Amino acid sequence: MIEILQQIVNGVAIGGVYVLIALGLTTVFGILGIAHFAHGSVSMFGGYLTFFMVTAWGFPLLLAILIALIVGFLLGMLIELLAYRPVRNANHINAFIVALGLTMMVEGLNLQFFGHEQVVIPTNLARVFDIGGVTIPELRLYVIIAAALLIIAMTLFVEKTKTGQAIRAVAENRDAAILMGVNVKTIPLVVFAISTALGVCAGVMVGSLFAIAPGIGEWLVVKGFAVLILGGLGSIPGAIVGGLVLGVTEALAAGFISSAYKDVIAFVVMIAVLLLRPQGLMGKA
Amino acid sequence: MKLRATHVLYAAALLGFVLLPQLITVKYYLHLSVLALVWVIAAQGQNLIQGYTGYVSIVQAGFMGIGAYSTTLMGIHFALPVWLTILLAPCVTALFALAAGYPSLRVKGHYFAIVTLAFNLVIFIVLMHATDLTQGEAGISGIPKPGREDGWFDFANRQVYYYFVLVIAVIMTGLAALIVRSRIGQTLIAIRQNETLVGAIGIAAWKYKLFAFVAAAMYAGLAGALYAHYQSFINPEIFGLAQSLDAILAVIIGGSGTILGPVIGAFVVVFLPEYLRFADSFRLILYGLLLVLATIFMPRGIVGVVGQLWARITGKAAS
Repeated sequence: MIEILQQIVNGVAIGGVYVLIALGLTTVFGILGIAHFAHGSVSMFGGYLTFFMVTAWGFPLLLAILIALIVGFLLGMLIELLAYRPVRNANHINAFIVALGLTMMVEGLNLQFFGHEQVVIPTNLARVFDIGGVTIPELRLYVIIAAALLIIAMTLFVEKTKTGQAIRAVAENRDAAILMGVNVKTIPLVVFAISTALGVCAGVMVGSLFAIAPGIGEWLVVKGFAVLILGGLGSIPGAIVGGLVLGVTEALAAGFISSAYKDVIAFVVMIAVLLLRPQGLMGKA
Repeated sequence: MKLRATHVLYAAALLGFVLLPQLITVKYYLHLSVLALVWVIAAQGQNLIQGYTGYVSIVQAGFMGIGAYSTTLMGIHFALPVWLTILLAPCVTALFALAAGYPSLRVKGHYFAIVTLAFNLVIFIVLMHATDLTQGEAGISGIPKPGREDGWFDFANRQVYYYFVLVIAVIMTGLAALIVRSRIGQTLIAIRQNETLVGAIGIAAWKYKLFAFVAAAMYAGLAGALYAHYQSFINPEIFGLAQSLDAILAVIIGGSGTILGPVIGAFVVVFLPEYLRFADSFRLILYGLLLVLATIFMPRGIVGVVGQLWARITGKAAS
């Protein structure tokens, strides 16, 4: 029982990272209908940047994260403006190809700036808590708390603010939103800025919990899409539930079945859910 | 008249391919040409499902891997002749494609793309970790070549293998053209244009979609088998996600839903990264940038652009 609880706690930490990635992907998908494949690589760029500022320039971690967030915010807008806006009215496959091209460019930039060594963001958080037999490293606990706060903030933003309302309106019915006076030119900018900033947070978490290396970004974005499938494309509650389900499934699979095949098991679960509920766990039929 | 012009074009292209090894002086380029022809086969398959049916599948390299490993393993474990295993490889791949396609074709659009992507990852992970069978990351070397060691059919000779793959690529391209012209092919195009309508007039669209998916996989399986016997070495690296994306790019860059498109696209996908070598570490960035620019400024691919130019010159509407 303790063992199961332990794996679930481990799963919630990685699940939180998945949720952050998936929240960005799902809002982008909801509003523009595109699979933003470069999201993982861009997130890893944020992780690398934080690592670089902390180790090379000696910035305090929190300051480095803050700067990386601002860079991510601006980078997101730039991506929307330069890459996706020109293919806005073209076939969706074209936007996907643009996303692939972007992925290569960002991966190339990461290699160019930060090399191909595997890096871990140093945090100096080495304490380990023991709660009723379940051990939680300090860092993992903070990651879970930070992810939870970000998820709540994002949900409140989308549900309660005027801009959030506009985002939901555009996702639901673009033409009607235009008629209601929503500026559909700035909404995608806002969505990309926030999504990329959330991605940067996920990148920092991956970089401090595990490691950043070339290829990790693609792995992360694939997981993000798996979460979207699980939860339902474009659904924010779906991204939260899907991310946690995927994270916990993986942790349980790694702990009790096989760590080599944990990703296979996670994908099998995804495909099974898709067959039983093609619209995803939280998607509308 | 137009028909004759395209026939001349096809004949010229074929002649070019036949003469290519005589014109190439650098051996490395001949090597790349063989790889490009292998990719022509894979891309023709991808075009059936992506270009004509309109379903973007991201598992073509995974299926190439199944083809490559099945021909190799059948050769090792059952001591079957190379010719036979090359022919059986697409059949084995088809079985996997049936199993994968049946559930995943129940969903559309992005869902389908992501599910097939997951299949590619599953294939990759299994190839990596089922070390008893596949020897994992280290790969399998010493895969035999077809044919004898002397005379015309010495397939260890790169030039001979080039012609071998060329013949198969031409046959498979012709087969793709026949499929597209047939009733099945027309139904596939109808599915791309309006799947609901196809269902409404009483056609079981799922059968046709499954056919396109399995056919695409068989093309990939054949390409993978030819690759394995050409390189004499395989490991999972070359059957990953990035290569499946290359197959998609080959179709898009060449011209989606055209017969010549995948041929041109395959050569671009194999040769362009090589030509960008001068840029060294900026290569990936440059390749990505070219892709983005190409998609924004020529969404219909090279065939589309050339077709428009041709139409402007002759004053006729593009076909």
